[in-house]
Amino acid sequence: MRCEDVSLKLSDYLAGRADTAERAAIEKHLEGCPACLSETEGLASLWRSLGEIPAPAPDSQGMRARIDAAIEHERFASNRTSAPAQRRFLANHPLVAACAATLVLAVGVVLGRATERAPAATPEVAALHQELRDLKQMVTLSLMQQQSASERLRGVSFSNQVDGSGDEILAALLDTLKHDTNVNVRLASVDALKRFAERDVVRRAAVDALDTQRSPLVQMALIDFVVETQDRGAVGALRRLSESAANETVRTRAAWGIEHLGVES
Amino acid sequence: MTMTDEALMQAVQRGDLAKLGALFDRHHLAVFDFLARMTGSRAVAEDLVQDVFERILKYRATWRGDAPFPAWLFRIARNARADHYRRREFTATYTDAMDGEDPAPGPEDRLESENEAARLQRALLRLREDKRELIVLARYREMKYEAIAELLGVDVATIKVRVHRALKELRDIFLTLESRPTCAVKTSLSSSRTI
Repeated sequence: MRCEDVSLKLSDYLAGRADTAERAAIEKHLEGCPACLSETEGLASLWRSLGEIPAPAPDSQGMRARIDAAIEHERFASNRTSAPAQRRFLANHPLVAACAATLVLAVGVVLGRATERAPAATPEVAALHQELRDLKQMVTLSLMQQQSASERLRGVSFSNQVDGSGDEILAALLDTLKHDTNVNVRLASVDALKRFAERDVVRRAAVDALDTQRSPLVQMALIDFVVETQDRGAVGALRRLSESAANETVRTRAAWGIEHLGVES
Repeated sequence: MTMTDEALMQAVQRGDLAKLGALFDRHHLAVFDFLARMTGSRAVAEDLVQDVFERILKYRATWRGDAPFPAWLFRIARNARADHYRRREFTATYTDAMDGEDPAPGPEDRLESENEAARLQRALLRLREDKRELIVLARYREMKYEAIAELLGVDVATIKVRVHRALKELRDIFLTLESRPTCAVKTSLSSSRTI
């Protein structure tokens, strides 16, 4: 065996994967080659020392809880997307979804201008409006399921342009507030939920979120939300925040919120 | 009877999403260990593990079942880590510092005591990423060179040579960090032969 052969076999030798014949050949070479011997000694020691770096320990329980939440989220999202094949397609093609969003906006503007001077809309125009609404909703929901946070952010902003009560949009926004991993997207969902603020489900979700959200920015937005909507049902959650929020600004803001809801803090 | 990884993944693919929990229980420590040693940060590694399993959920339809599940898993883990660092470069200003999201490898996550293991850990983190990855896979994941070669898309002989070179480079970095005059990696031949 030559020095080059030792170099080639050394990684197997160090990892204990060289077979008996290879080991014997390497060791025979080392006995007569001080340079290879020194090299092998050093690297063997290094290999052992690498094994002495302690393995970091993760928070397995916390990670499992987050994965369970992601599974729930996915189950919910799958149910939402199980009906329309078009939305599934858009969810898998972010570029197409982005183009569709722009197109829907443009069509909406053109259609709006074309029909604003025609108060007595014909059934055809009404049907066109309905189709546009459906398309807007579909694009919004698909954007909100994109992997990219900036696309989801666009989806949340776009949701403001979907007319009507939009139960599906509302469900998606509530889901985003609860589960989205990106703080900016969650923050935008708080703003977008304001137009649904008269709904009990939204008020309840905002109060729940006060207890569960850990981002100071989202907590501040939620405090403003419950104050704006004068939701006195949020006082308990605000009190908890004012006492135990990790961030001092949040604690101060929560106390301010309690005052503005007409309750002594 | 215990289900194989591949059977669990097929169940996930068919819509039995809860089976992902079982795959997580089986593999998250290995993925976490790989990512923690690659990034030097426990917090980043935990976030990336979450990302990896979320990607499995999202891309479950792309699982073809013609390769062992762990190979697919580590491919996703490598991509998640690469995307993480790419995102950090582009979105540094987008990150909400108040949230403490996306933390850089911090001193709290490193071994601080200046013992040999800590110095070697620091040396490992200074090693170029592709070389560090080879050592982490070969030494800590105890992955066979054939598996590493398949994962990285190169032939086995090349992997063996690269592991050897990476080790030599790691040793050089380690020696520059070594404060004591005597080299800690110099040991007797007899001990090196007991590997």
